[in-house]
Amino acid sequence: MSNHPLLEVKDLTTSFFTSRGEVQAVRGVSFDVSPGEIVGIVGESGSGKSITCMSILRLLKSNGRVVAGQAHFEGQDLLKLAEHDMRKLRGDDIAMIFQDPMTSLNPTLTVGEQIIETIIAHRGSSRKAARQRAIELFELVKIPEAASRLNSYPHEFSGGMRQRVMIAIALCCDPKLLIADEPTTALDVTIQRQILLLLKEIQARLGMAIILITHDLGVIAEVADRILVMYGGMVMETGSVDTVFARPNHPYTQGLLTSVPKLRTAHKERLRPIPGSPPDMLRPPVGCPFAPRCLRAMQICVGEVPPIFEMGDQQTHKAKCWLHHPDAPTNDEGAA
Amino acid sequence: MSGIHIKNLNVSYGNTTVTHDVSLDVSVGESLALVGESGSGKSTVLKAIAGLATNWTGDIEVDGIARGRSIDPEIATKCQMVFQDPYGSLHPRKTIDATLSEPLQIHGIKDQSARVIEQLENVQLDERYRFRFPHQLSGGQRQRVAIARALMLGPRFLLLDEPTSALDVSVQAEILNLLKRIRKEQNLTYLVVTHNLAVVSFLCDRLAVMRSGKIVETADVSQLKSNQLAHAYSKELLQASRLHSGSNEKTPHNDHAQ
Ligand SMILES: Nc1ncnc2c1ncn2[C@@H]1O[C@H](COP(=O)(O)OP(=O)(O)OP(=O)(O)O)[C@@H](O)[C@H]1O
Ligand SMILES: Nc1ncnc2c1ncn2[C@@H]1O[C@H](COP(=O)(O)OP(=O)(O)OP(=O)(O)O)[C@@H](O)[C@H]1O
Ligand code: SF4
Ligand SMILES: [Mg+2]
Ligand SMILES: [Mg+2]
Repeated sequence: MSNHPLLEVKDLTTSFFTSRGEVQAVRGVSFDVSPGEIVGIVGESGSGKSITCMSILRLLKSNGRVVAGQAHFEGQDLLKLAEHDMRKLRGDDIAMIFQDPMTSLNPTLTVGEQIIETIIAHRGSSRKAARQRAIELFELVKIPEAASRLNSYPHEFSGGMRQRVMIAIALCCDPKLLIADEPTTALDVTIQRQILLLLKEIQARLGMAIILITHDLGVIAEVADRILVMYGGMVMETGSVDTVFARPNHPYTQGLLTSVPKLRTAHKERLRPIPGSPPDMLRPPVGCPFAPRCLRAMQICVGEVPPIFEMGDQQTHKAKCWLHHPDAPTNDEGAA
Repeated sequence: MSGIHIKNLNVSYGNTTVTHDVSLDVSVGESLALVGESGSGKSTVLKAIAGLATNWTGDIEVDGIARGRSIDPEIATKCQMVFQDPYGSLHPRKTIDATLSEPLQIHGIKDQSARVIEQLENVQLDERYRFRFPHQLSGGQRQRVAIARALMLGPRFLLLDEPTSALDVSVQAEILNLLKRIRKEQNLTYLVVTHNLAVVSFLCDRLAVMRSGKIVETADVSQLKSNQLAHAYSKELLQASRLHSGSNEKTPHNDHAQ
């Protein structure tokens, strides 16, 4: 992995302007993705995961606008790129897979036509070469009888196979970065696992970087190198997956990990959900967005957004929480 | 015989038969999970019991009543289904109150208002949501409404199809706790479809594993927890699930708040 990040997002701030007011979807998000790295983004519904990525890709709905920040991809700021250049970059260098393959595939065309068109559009290949490439890609994503399956329509594939088709299309142009938004939530565990292992294998073979959005912590644990935990439009904690799962240092991350049922959860036990509900991004809390639900909130939390503190156990492990301030009351959680 | 009893159930869509000789028994008070491959027919089995899939052969008996092919009001009062998608399963133009009153109207039951309030309390949904529309509620709140609706007629059996897989982890935990509590308080019997084995272990006593329209194994949850499933496919499922939650299970700090 080179030291130069492939993608460098800084202070990204995105809002939607609606009749009810400004929805502050993303509030100062910063992170890097190195070449060949898999970065997982978790966080509850509405925390800004998809909008972070849509902002970078410049695919926001017309009422949405990036109001501040930068997103440098190989040195150039995507947010300043001309629309024409951006369109070329999307698909060429950055590819994406969305949650529901049924809505992203055209039901009236065979998958072969769709993938061949994409290859021709981006690579200017001949139809024959594009077809050959399509077959190779189907083989890469392990669709059996690749050549003949090109003639099938989307509905003729099972959920797992359709997701493979989407991955094949995304890989058409050897992207350097693949953004996968909830690629497996609709699939059963064995198929989920196959798809994730496949993504990981392809990532290792082609050396691309992946941003993987999911609300499934298990998925992140299994495939990602690094994790971003989002809440209320901000990154609450980040670090290597092993470190964050072993030593979560933000009350929200801790709450998430505790609420997951385990195979060994005793029958009599109750699960421990995080009390309360996520903030309304039309009127987000003034201070720490998690404060209204945080059992350890202090006075300062309500009034001021916490800065990011380095955890010290590992270079990249950081948490945005006042508990890590040197003057914070000490606690039993091993805070800095 | 009380409970749910299914014998040699073959359900078809058009000319395609998708379940093959499925037999299942769920005793009163029990909670049975139906797990397995995507497309293996799990939802189909639930739909047949609920009367939503009508093209089948075999026997379905609910609380001593043999199910016919048509809507059976007597079975409907005893046995209700809850779906995965709390967005799609509620009527977007009906208030929560209208949604919850509807089954009472259909069955000609009086004091609707009192019953609606009682059920909202039961699923811990504040009364101020009563006259709102589904889009004004969060996913977890909608799933509470869906559960309340299923409980309106005082059923003894709930058929739950992936009741929490569309929800965030923390919200999922709330709904799972709710389902566990009402089962105990109201002595309900559950048949739960899920792809999450941790959910099985939390909410169920036994599980049946389906593949390609057939039940390949039934086992106790204790066998699941101790890694003692017998069929090769069940093992594969368990393996995938363990790897998935692997990192969560080994983290000491998971239980920090205890
Ligand atoms: N077109 C829009 N108009 C107004 N608000 C929007 C729009 N799209 C998204 N939002 C809001 O932006 C916030 C962030 O949404 P986002 O889709 O990024 O969440 P997410 O973390 O991806 O959640 P999920 O897990 O549900 O996909 C939410 O509060 C959402 O309601
Ligand atoms: N309305 C329908 N018309 C035709 N075929 C259907 C219909 N509903 C389901 N099927 C087919 O029947 C089979 C069983 O589907 P079912 O929905 O019961 O599977 P499942 O086990 O619930 O899967 P999943 O885990 O993906 O929800 C599948 O092959 C499916 O494609
Ligand atoms: S900053 Fe305060 S409210 Fe926010 S997570 Fe930390 S302790 Fe809790
Ligand atoms: Mg999203
Ligand atoms: Mg199903």
